[in-house]
Amino acid sequence: MTMSRLGAQPAEVIDRAATLSFRWNGKRFRGFEGDTIASALAAAGEHVFSRSMKYHRPRGILTADYWDPNLMVQVGDDPNVRAGHRLLEAGMDVRPQNVWPSLHRDIKAANSLVGRFLTAGFYYKTFMRPAWLWPTYERVLATFAPGGKIDLDTPHRYHDKRYLHPDVVVAGAGPAGIEAALAAAGAGARVLLVEHEDKVGGHLRYSSSDSAQAALAELRAALEASDVEVLTDSTVTGRYEDNWLGIVQRNHPIAVERLIKARAKVLVAAPGLIERPYVFSGNDRPGVVTSGAARRLINLWGVKPGERAVVFTANSEGDAAAADLDRVGVEVAAVIDGREGKRVSSAQGSSRALEAVAAGGNRIEADLLVVAAGWTAPTSLLNMAGDRPVYDAAAARFFPSDPPGNVLATGGLAGDGSLDELRAHGSATGRLAAQRAAAVAHRLQARTARARPVDGDEPSWAPDERTPLGRDPHPELYRSDTHGMVDLSEDVGSKDLVAAAREGYDSVELAKRYTTATMGPSQGKLETVNTVAAIAEARGETIAQVGTTVWRPPYAPLTLGALAGRVFEPVRVSSIHPWHEANGVSTILAGQWIRPDHYGDPAAEVRNVRTNVGLIDVTPLGKLDLRGPDIPKLLNLLYTNKWSKLPVGKVRYGMMCAEDGVVLDDGVTGRLGEDHYLMTTTSSGAGGVWEWVENWLQTERPDWKVHVTPVTTAYVSINVAGPKARELVGRVTEGVDLSPESFPYMEVRLATVAGVAGCFMWRIGFTGELSFEIHAPSGHGLHVWEALMDAGQDLGVGPFGLEGQRIMRLEKGHFIVGQDTDGLTLGPSTGLGPLIKLDKDDFAGKPELAWAADRPLPMIVAIQPDDPNMVPDEASQIVRGDTNEILGRITSSRMSPTLGRSICLGQVEPELAAGGTKLTVLLTSGERIGATVMDHHAHFDPAGERLRG
Amino acid sequence: MLLVPCPHCGPRNSSDLRYGGESHPRPDPATATPQQWRGYLYLRDNPADWLRENWYCRSGCRRWFTVERNTATNEFRNPPMPGDKRGGKA
Amino acid sequence: MTGIVRRLRRRPPKYSAAGLVWRGMRGEHWPRIWRDTELRRSYDAVVVGGGVHGLATAYYLARNHGITDVAVLDKAYLGSGASGRNTAIVRANYLTPEGVAFYDRSLQLYNSMALDLNINVMMSERGHLTLAHNDSSLRTMNWRAEVNKLQGVNSSVIGPDEIKKIAPALDTSDHPRYPILGALYHPPGGIVRHDAVVWGYARAADHMGVEMHQKTEVLDILCEGGDGPDGKGPGGKVVGVRTNRGDISTPVVVNCTAGWAGLISAMAGVRLPITTHPLQAAVTEPVKVFLPTVVVSGSLHVYISQTDRGELVFGAAVDAVATYSIRGSLEFTEELAGHVLELMPGISRMRLLRQWSGLCDMTPDYSPVMGFTPVDGFLVDVGWGTYGFKAAPVSGEQMAEAVATGRTPELIAPFALSRFDTGELVGEKGAAAVGH
Repeated sequence: MTMSRLGAQPAEVIDRAATLSFRWNGKRFRGFEGDTIASALAAAGEHVFSRSMKYHRPRGILTADYWDPNLMVQVGDDPNVRAGHRLLEAGMDVRPQNVWPSLHRDIKAANSLVGRFLTAGFYYKTFMRPAWLWPTYERVLATFAPGGKIDLDTPHRYHDKRYLHPDVVVAGAGPAGIEAALAAAGAGARVLLVEHEDKVGGHLRYSSSDSAQAALAELRAALEASDVEVLTDSTVTGRYEDNWLGIVQRNHPIAVERLIKARAKVLVAAPGLIERPYVFSGNDRPGVVTSGAARRLINLWGVKPGERAVVFTANSEGDAAAADLDRVGVEVAAVIDGREGKRVSSAQGSSRALEAVAAGGNRIEADLLVVAAGWTAPTSLLNMAGDRPVYDAAAARFFPSDPPGNVLATGGLAGDGSLDELRAHGSATGRLAAQRAAAVAHRLQARTARARPVDGDEPSWAPDERTPLGRDPHPELYRSDTHGMVDLSEDVGSKDLVAAAREGYDSVELAKRYTTATMGPSQGKLETVNTVAAIAEARGETIAQVGTTVWRPPYAPLTLGALAGRVFEPVRVSSIHPWHEANGVSTILAGQWIRPDHYGDPAAEVRNVRTNVGLIDVTPLGKLDLRGPDIPKLLNLLYTNKWSKLPVGKVRYGMMCAEDGVVLDDGVTGRLGEDHYLMTTTSSGAGGVWEWVENWLQTERPDWKVHVTPVTTAYVSINVAGPKARELVGRVTEGVDLSPESFPYMEVRLATVAGVAGCFMWRIGFTGELSFEIHAPSGHGLHVWEALMDAGQDLGVGPFGLEGQRIMRLEKGHFIVGQDTDGLTLGPSTGLGPLIKLDKDDFAGKPELAWAADRPLPMIVAIQPDDPNMVPDEASQIVRGDTNEILGRITSSRMSPTLGRSICLGQVEPELAAGGTKLTVLLTSGERIGATVMDHHAHFDPAGERLRG
Repeated sequence: MLLVPCPHCGPRNSSDLRYGGESHPRPDPATATPQQWRGYLYLRDNPADWLRENWYCRSGCRRWFTVERNTATNEFRNPPMPGDKRGGKA
Repeated sequence: MTGIVRRLRRRPPKYSAAGLVWRGMRGEHWPRIWRDTELRRSYDAVVVGGGVHGLATAYYLARNHGITDVAVLDKAYLGSGASGRNTAIVRANYLTPEGVAFYDRSLQLYNSMALDLNINVMMSERGHLTLAHNDSSLRTMNWRAEVNKLQGVNSSVIGPDEIKKIAPALDTSDHPRYPILGALYHPPGGIVRHDAVVWGYARAADHMGVEMHQKTEVLDILCEGGDGPDGKGPGGKVVGVRTNRGDISTPVVVNCTAGWAGLISAMAGVRLPITTHPLQAAVTEPVKVFLPTVVVSGSLHVYISQTDRGELVFGAAVDAVATYSIRGSLEFTEELAGHVLELMPGISRMRLLRQWSGLCDMTPDYSPVMGFTPVDGFLVDVGWGTYGFKAAPVSGEQMAEAVATGRTPELIAPFALSRFDTGELVGEKGAAAVGH
């Protein structure tokens, strides 16, 4: 195969005035603007582009388009680039993939010699003994992995997404697709036309005939004059539920690739047809090309594909290729006509001096063998819509069967015809699509609540009255009288498929899995039907009987970058966060929240709270504002304890359980007014509890009058804790008497703090100290915090973080839902059994909690290691003596700065729950230590005198 | 991406909603036997057919509603229309 | 139950390198991997579902208990369901002692499978990293590691530096949203060629006389004496199976289906605590191998491994919406790609090649339902959620023992259907929610 650049061609897309310089395989090359990488290299005389996966056979151009399995190259840090599709750019560094040490001398080509032992699936039958050698074998097999190289330093560049709500999306801008788009737009529909190639026109583009070029010019002009939005070098990658479409745009000016998501009211599938290779001995040699490849090379890029050609043709496209070759001065040594029952039998010789052998033994020397053996209908989008295309033996391809009414096929997918017939069918399809889209639009609007109802009745669903396209007869050409390659990406031959079928892998799915045919980068676009044909042959069945594999999305591969786009998973911070950052905070990620963990020395923070006063930002605490007369009923239903008699100004703690009795959440709720409450939840439970509350109110108790508003981020929450808390809060608070007599523990007041009106303040805390928790309007949060800090300088006020709070809550023995409890912890296991009021009529989880009351359950207990300096890691297991029998685990542990010893909470089996029980704790180091169960959860101040002060 | 017929917001992408699973009544906790209660907690009809199920329009109207969907085809049937008084779930 | 030990088939040729060369030289084909036989009218036991679980059950019935008059029925082809759609990860680093013991046995059987079944299942013991991105998941990792160690399973929690050494592609830098704080490292975990497991069990079972029947759909389970209509339901017993190829009489039916477990069980009048959800997966185009281990992130709902063919295989959590449709979704690939790039930002130029889904039967406690049911002779091995593949060998072994002895083996006792009557659920929820 000797390729070179021709003189100017009438339909060429290259700009011969614009020369682009690039590198291939380490050497400098030149091409023209408008070239693909492959066409530029072909014009420069390159004929080997890659090595095959298993046998490392040299491979040249086969289809010269996106699906060409032999034209996968590395461009810079971009692996697996389709050189038959990617437009050439100046300065590209293009390298071959999957070669060692080089493209032209590849050592693994020796595999060809032992090919008859490396039959498909051979690896399942060997490398089993000795077993210890398998990892070594595996490493060797892994070196056969095809594909390019990833540079892990490649940045995740700009990939934004776009959302569209078009009436009609047309996939494929050949003549039928363009006509469909024009007709739909003409009928008033908003239309998006998506073309896989970099220009519209489909097969008209590479036809040299004047009539084709005139039609192309006419269609292009009409498109430009229309309102149709045209996307080129873009592919509809998938059709999902309810016509949700993924579209990848590869030529976006900024984004590397852009994902477009469109909810199309009607999808028109007009992808055209894909030319199918023919299976015969040597069909993968460089120099064997499809008719489409020959025509594209000549007409689009002015590349002379060879000097002396043999053309095997069974259709008009093959004939046209022969005519094109002749026109540009390629000697057509022979035309083997498949319609007359003639076959090409093998291609032999070197890649530069090919010898085509026709069935019957007629040998013809050539450097190019052009094959036109038929078509594969890329029915992917129809498959994804649930259609099961059917095989028509007379036309030798699959056709749509019964796609849903909002998916219409036109063009080559739907049938054959003259250009006028194809255009007419496209036009009729566009009109039908517009009519149906109008009906869908009406229905969608009518189903949406709106101030004024939608006018008129829903338009009737337009019947499909298109004149169907014909079906040209075509010989069933799959395999010649020799065996050859079926899947060029995977190096799977027809022999492999026949052997697999004989071995029992005789359904197409089993054969596919066993041989890996159709599993490579073209995903069956070229090889599926030949695969089915090989199995049908082995089974003595028809292609229709064997059936085909399911085409799965995406239609064309797209980058992870395009799919990912920008990841919108924001983190949250409170309005006090700038202060934390300015004051040396170490943060911790808790759910979505970035929270202060400590400010350098958590133990010192604890000591300061226990002796002076500290501030902690607890804004992520979930907060729900409840209004309405039926709130007590709601609280009685959600919490295990009783709420009917909570007076205004009081706060109460409650535990929530799910319907299976498992602890769901906990927190305090205060009564702010007659019909006004503030409920707090755990930080991580804020969203879930809100939905839980809405679920009960809307579905089980819709007659109750309660309105719920989540106010978590509407308020900043600051807990002021420590013996001097009252003194500090008093300095900045107006309108509330803070004395213990008038504002005792577990009460709530509305206050003005640091001049900010509308703050709620309640006397509770997790630390066990005298605490005032202030909920201030979020916009003033930083001000309130700073005012407290300023006012308390002489009191020794300081911030404390989550770590300090965790230490203090552990000193007080408060459990944390999700840390000290798990997915099976029932309410009574928390030790809060007295808060479970089984005499209430109903509450969430009541039956399970009632039955659990009679059962011994694992219990949460306070534990102290015998060695006060030993802090067992959280998750250390509690075991029976020297055995490995698990009896519980440490769920929380810390060194207590207050007590100067290690303290824990843990879950233990019921028989170990009594105070004074001796435990064995298995440390993560493997050491076993002794520990003792305490009488109370609180390690410190069990009577709670400090917090009530 | 399913298009879920919210009676208030109109057809919405399923990512705007939370799936609430099969619609089944809560037994009276005062009289339920363990078997009845655990049936309510755990057992599901799970048909490959029409199913009455609950959805929560979490990014829209924040209402729970019940619809019928065919779990084999993901088609919705008789969706509640705007103005329907069919709130809540069964 | 007493099985008739049928005359063993003549041993077919063993798979070996020598065999490959011999046949390669002579151009001879290998014999069929399993026979294509007529469906008979009666069997000692019928296994519904020709996936890894059903085939393993049949294999161990024959091998361990001499019960060979067994038919495995599949409505499509062997391995057409979840067996051929999963991401082929195996591991034993579960959270509960019962889970660890069970999966550890499974891993042992996987390790010896190539030699036991004489087929290379390509067990790749490459290690398994479960990443922790926050405090609480790190705590769960520690919990799992401690339970694993007590059971003799190799698991430990490692820090970012060591993670970077094992899998350099991971971004262990100071990330704001999903920092990698540590990982549960489980060296015995890895991947297996799932199809080879299907074919290996089928071939070995076939050698012992078990029959595999593809394209054979179970339409009904015939019962008598039960409380429900047609003698089905509690108190009844199985007498046969109705298929699209005629009725079969049998005293034992083992339901080894996934995705259709509830529908098959309903045919015997047994209700299950199961909802069916799709689990999606995807694969990229191949690139040269750069990821040596399996990487899992529970917080990001993603698991990743690279095959010897160079493709990255991705999985995620099950879809939230219950459905039997397996068409897959675009949003799955979007979320997946976003999360993968959070972990490995350097691979944004890799292209997604194919996505697919399979059906998972989810139970409330993320643990299977195994063993006897209130219908005599109707056994279940179902509810396998997203962890069925890794459990296939041990499940087959234990289910075969249950069938043969009529008693529930200790290893599967925690997974009995009756736990949903007593409320004594298994505590794997924390570990298995996205624990691949």
